[in-house]
Amino acid sequence: MCRCAKLLLIVIGLGLSTTFTWAATPQTLPPVAKVFVAPDFMLQGEDDKTYHLADFKGRVVVLNFWATWCPPCRYEMPSMERAWNKLQGEGIEILAVNVGEGADTVFEFLGSYPVSFPLLLDKDANVIKRYPVTGLPTTFIISPKGVVTHRTMGSREWDAPELLEQLRAMREH
Amino acid sequence: MPRLATLLPTLMCLCPALVLGLTDSQGIDEEARLPYWQVDDSGMSLRLIQRLPDQTRGYFLARKFGASDANTIANSCVFQTVFRNLSSGTEAGPLEYDLREWRVLSDGHEQNLKLREDWAKQWQQQKIPNPAQIAFEWSLLPTWQRYNPGDYNWGMTTFNLHPGSRFDLTMTWRQAGRKKSATIHAIQCAPDIHPENTPGE
Repeated sequence: MCRCAKLLLIVIGLGLSTTFTWAATPQTLPPVAKVFVAPDFMLQGEDDKTYHLADFKGRVVVLNFWATWCPPCRYEMPSMERAWNKLQGEGIEILAVNVGEGADTVFEFLGSYPVSFPLLLDKDANVIKRYPVTGLPTTFIISPKGVVTHRTMGSREWDAPELLEQLRAMREH
Repeated sequence: MPRLATLLPTLMCLCPALVLGLTDSQGIDEEARLPYWQVDDSGMSLRLIQRLPDQTRGYFLARKFGASDANTIANSCVFQTVFRNLSSGTEAGPLEYDLREWRVLSDGHEQNLKLREDWAKQWQQQKIPNPAQIAFEWSLLPTWQRYNPGDYNWGMTTFNLHPGSRFDLTMTWRQAGRKKSATIHAIQCAPDIHPENTPGE
C-alpha cells in the first residue's frame, strides 16, 4: 500500500475513534432578536414574600426560569450566587423563578444549593407561559426600563468577568 | 496512484461522517454512567444518554404521576438529550432543530418521536393532575428550539419503542440557512430489568 493510502487510513482511523471532549460552553449573553416589554407578574417567594416585577424598574433584572430536577439549572446556581454577592448594591437584581414545584421542594433544594437571591414560585407555570421559553433553564435580562434585551438558554458561569461586565453595562440602557 | 484512487471512494462510502466534517461517538456518560450516542458537526452537538426505565419511573412517580402512567413513560424508550450550540469565531451563528422532522427506524419500521404535544393530549384525556403535566412538559426536550452560540439545554426525548429495542435516528437541524442531517446507527433503548423477573431467580 502506498504511503498516501496508509496516511489516509490513519487519518480516518483517528476520525472514527474521536472521543468527544465535553467542551465548555462559551460564556455568552446573546441579545434577543427583537426586544420586548417584560410581562409583569406577582409571585410568592420561597421566603413567603411577594415579588412584583414592576417594583424592580430602574434596575437591571436577571430573570431566571429553573427547576430543581434540571441539571443545568443546578449547575448555574452557585455561580449565580457568587454573581449576586459581587453585584450587591450595583443596581442589578437576580430573580430565579422555579417552575411547577412547591415551596417544600425548593426549601429542600436550598439545603444542597444555598442561595440568597429571591427564589419565586411559579407553581402553575402561568408566568413562564407569558415569556418565550421552551426549555429550562432560560434567563432573560431586563433593562432598567423594563425591556427584555438578552436571553440565554442553558447554564452560564454568571460570575465570569465578561458576563458581569455586560450586566453592569446594561444599567445604562 | 491507481490503488489509492480505487480505495478512496470505498473509504468515503465507509466513512461519510469524516468526509462531511461530522463526527459521531459513543461511550459511557461520565455523570450518568450510562451509554451515550453523540454527533458533532461545526458547532452542533447532540448527545443522547440512556435513561433506565426504573430511573424514569421513579422520577415521574415523584412528580405526582400514578404508577401505571409512570410505567407507560418509563417503557417508552427515554433518553436524556443534550443539544448544544458550541459554534464560535467565524462559524458562530444560531442553530435550530425541529423534532417533528426527526425519523426513527427500528425493525424496518419508520416512525417519529413521541413529542411533548402527543403526550400532552394523552395526559389531558386522562385528566392527569396539573402539577404532573407541568413537570412532564418541562422535563421533555422542546419540540422546536433555536439556540444562539453558547446556548444549550437538556431534556428527555421519548422514542416510543420497547425497552431494549435498537434503532437508527436520522436527525436534522438548520445552520446558517442550510438544512443538515446525520444518522446515528444502532442506538439502544435501555432494557427494563427487574430482579424479580430475571430467569433463574
